[in-house]
Amino acid sequence: MTDTLLALLHMCLFPGGVFALAVGFFFKGLDRRVEARLQSRVGPPLVQPWIDIAKLLTKETLIPKTACRQAFLMAPVLGFTGMAVCAAFIPVPGVFNGLFNMGDLLVLFYLLPIPAMAIMVGGSASSSPFGAMGFSREMSLMLAYETPLLMILLTVAMLVGKGLTGGAWGAEFSLLKIVAYQQQTGSFGLNPVMIPALLAYLIFLPGTMGVAPFDIPEAETEIIEGPLLEYGGPLLALFQVTSALKTFVVLGLGVALFFPGTVSDLWLVNLGWFLLKTLALMLLSLTLVKSASGRMRIDQAFRFYVTVPCALALCSLLLVWFV
Amino acid sequence: MSIDHLLKKLSVRSPWLFRINAGSCNGCDVELATTACIPRYDVERFGCRYCGSPRHADVVLITGPVTTKVRDRVLTVWNEIPEPKVTVAVGICPISGGVFRDSYSIDGPLDRLIPIDVNVPGCPPRPQAILEAVVLARSIWMKKLGLEG
Amino acid sequence: MSSFLKVLFRNVLNGPSTDPFPLGETFTPDRLRGKVLIDPELCMGCGTCKEVCTAGAIDLSELADGSGFRITVWQNSCCLCASCRHYCPTGAASLIPDWHAAHPEEDKYVRIEQQTVKYEPCSNCGTLMRPIPAKLARKLYASSPELDPEQLRHLCPACRRLRDALKGRPFPVAAAKVPAEAQA
Repeated sequence: MTDTLLALLHMCLFPGGVFALAVGFFFKGLDRRVEARLQSRVGPPLVQPWIDIAKLLTKETLIPKTACRQAFLMAPVLGFTGMAVCAAFIPVPGVFNGLFNMGDLLVLFYLLPIPAMAIMVGGSASSSPFGAMGFSREMSLMLAYETPLLMILLTVAMLVGKGLTGGAWGAEFSLLKIVAYQQQTGSFGLNPVMIPALLAYLIFLPGTMGVAPFDIPEAETEIIEGPLLEYGGPLLALFQVTSALKTFVVLGLGVALFFPGTVSDLWLVNLGWFLLKTLALMLLSLTLVKSASGRMRIDQAFRFYVTVPCALALCSLLLVWFV
Repeated sequence: MSIDHLLKKLSVRSPWLFRINAGSCNGCDVELATTACIPRYDVERFGCRYCGSPRHADVVLITGPVTTKVRDRVLTVWNEIPEPKVTVAVGICPISGGVFRDSYSIDGPLDRLIPIDVNVPGCPPRPQAILEAVVLARSIWMKKLGLEG
Repeated sequence: MSSFLKVLFRNVLNGPSTDPFPLGETFTPDRLRGKVLIDPELCMGCGTCKEVCTAGAIDLSELADGSGFRITVWQNSCCLCASCRHYCPTGAASLIPDWHAAHPEEDKYVRIEQQTVKYEPCSNCGTLMRPIPAKLARKLYASSPELDPEQLRHLCPACRRLRDALKGRPFPVAAAKVPAEAQA
C-alpha cells in the first residue's frame, strides 16, 4: 500500500508530474530564448511556454465533424499519461533512484514512443488529409529513430551487465544499477568505448523531440502542423505539456545513461548538477542543431537515422561485445 | 482575481499569428515574413508565433484584395479559427481594394465579408507598422475577452 | 557547417540586433513614403493627381455651392506610389515619412487627407476663380520684372488676357464685366 502511494507521489510530484513539468517548461522557454539569441534576436520571455498554455486554456475547442470523436479527444490524454508515467522512471542521481530497480530501461523504451503514437492517433482521428500525411511521416520517423535508441540502450545494458558479472555475458536493464555502476567506475560519456553511442543518443534527441531538422511530421509550412492541425485550445495545450514532459524524460534518460555522476552528498547540489547536465545536453543537441539547420525531407531523415546513428551505436555495441 | 481572469490576462501575451493570402501580390506577405525572420523586427518578443494551422491562431493577418476565386476559401479558413480571434487587414488591398479596386475579379473590400478589427494600410506597410498593428490587435483582443486595457 | 556555427557564436557574442520598437524608438529614413499631404496653398484643383493616381485614392470635387473645391486623399487606398507628387504641376502634393498607419476599424474612413480650397472673386470682374498661388505666380513672371505677380494672380484668366491686350492701359469700365463667352 505504502509502495503504491509512494509510486503515485513520485509520479505526481518528483521527479514526475510537477517537477518534470516545471523543468520541461523552463527548458522549453530557455530553448526558445537561446535559439533567439543564436539568431541575433531577443526572443520571448522565459515564461512564454506557461503563457501559451494559459492562452490555449481560454480558447474554444473545435472538433471536426468528420473526426472520430473519442480517439480525437483521447489521443492527447494518452500521450500525456504515457509521459507522466515515464517521468517517474527517470533517476536523479544522488536525489532519487528511480521508481523500480528491475528492468525499467525496457519499460522506458516501450513508453517513450507513446507521445509519438498519440500524435499519430490524433492525426489519423482528425480526418484531415494533412493529419494522415503527418501520421505517415511520424510513423517512418519513429521507426527510424527507435532503432538506434534500442541499440544504445542495449549497449549500455551490456556494458553494465558485463561489469557486474565480471566479464561474463549479461545485460542489466535496471536504471538504478546502471547509475550505481557508473558512479563507481566512471561515467560512460567519458568512456571511449561509449562515445559513439553518446553521439548516437545526441542525434536521437532532435528526432524524438521533433525539432528541426527532424520536425518533419509537424512541418507547419508544408503540411500545416500535420497531425496537430485540427487540435486547438486545451487539447493542444495537453500536447504541449506532453512535449515538455518528454523533454525532461529524454534529457534525464541521457544523463542517467551517460553522465550520472554526483558532485557532493547534499541533495540540493546534486539536483542542481543534474539540471545543469540536462541543460547542457539540451543546448548541444536540440537548440544548437535547431537554430543551425533547416528541415530535412522524410526520406533523407529516414536514411540518415538508419545509417549514421545506427552505425555509431552498432560500433559501440560491437566494441562492448568484443573488448 | 479569479483563475479565469488571470488566464485571460495572460493569454494576450501569447498571440499566435496566422496568415491568409487572399490573392495578394506577396508584397505584404514578404513584410509579414520579415517581422518573423529578420532579427531587427523579431515579433517573437511579444510571444507571437506564426502558426501553420488556423485552429491555433489568435490573430489572423489577411493580405490581398480577396479575388473571386479565393473568396470562399478565405471565408472557410477564417471560420475555422476558434474564438476569440482578432482580424487584421494588412495592406491597402483588403482594406479598400487598393490598386485593384473595381476590378471584375475582386470581391473585396474584406470588411464586406468578415468583420475586421485592425487595419494597417500601406503598399506594403512597414514591418514596424505591422508590429504596431499586432500590439493594437492585442488591446482589441483584451476588449473582446472583457478586459479593458 | 563550421562557418555557420561561427555565425551563431558571433551572434551570441554581439547580442541581439533587434530594434526596441514598439517598446522603444525606431529609425525612419528621411525619404520614406508614409503619407500623402496636400498643400491647400498650392493646389490649383487641376485634377492631374486624380488622373494619375494608381489606386484611385484621390477625389476632387466642386463644393455644392460652387464656392470652391475639395481635394480628398483616402490614405487607406493610397499605395504610396508618389505619382501625385511627381505629376503635380504646382508641387502641392507631398509625402511625409509618417508610417504610423495601424488603426482600429472604426477609424477606417477617418484617415483621410482633406483640403478645401475656396474660390476668390477676380479683382477686376468679380468672377469666382482660384487665384494663382503667390509662390507660383512669382515663378511664372520671374522673367518679366515689369509685371507685378501679386496683382496678376488675382485676375481671372479672361481678365489676364484682356490686360495683356490692353498693353498696360487701364481696364475700360465697360470691360469690367467680361462676357461669359470670353471667360470660356
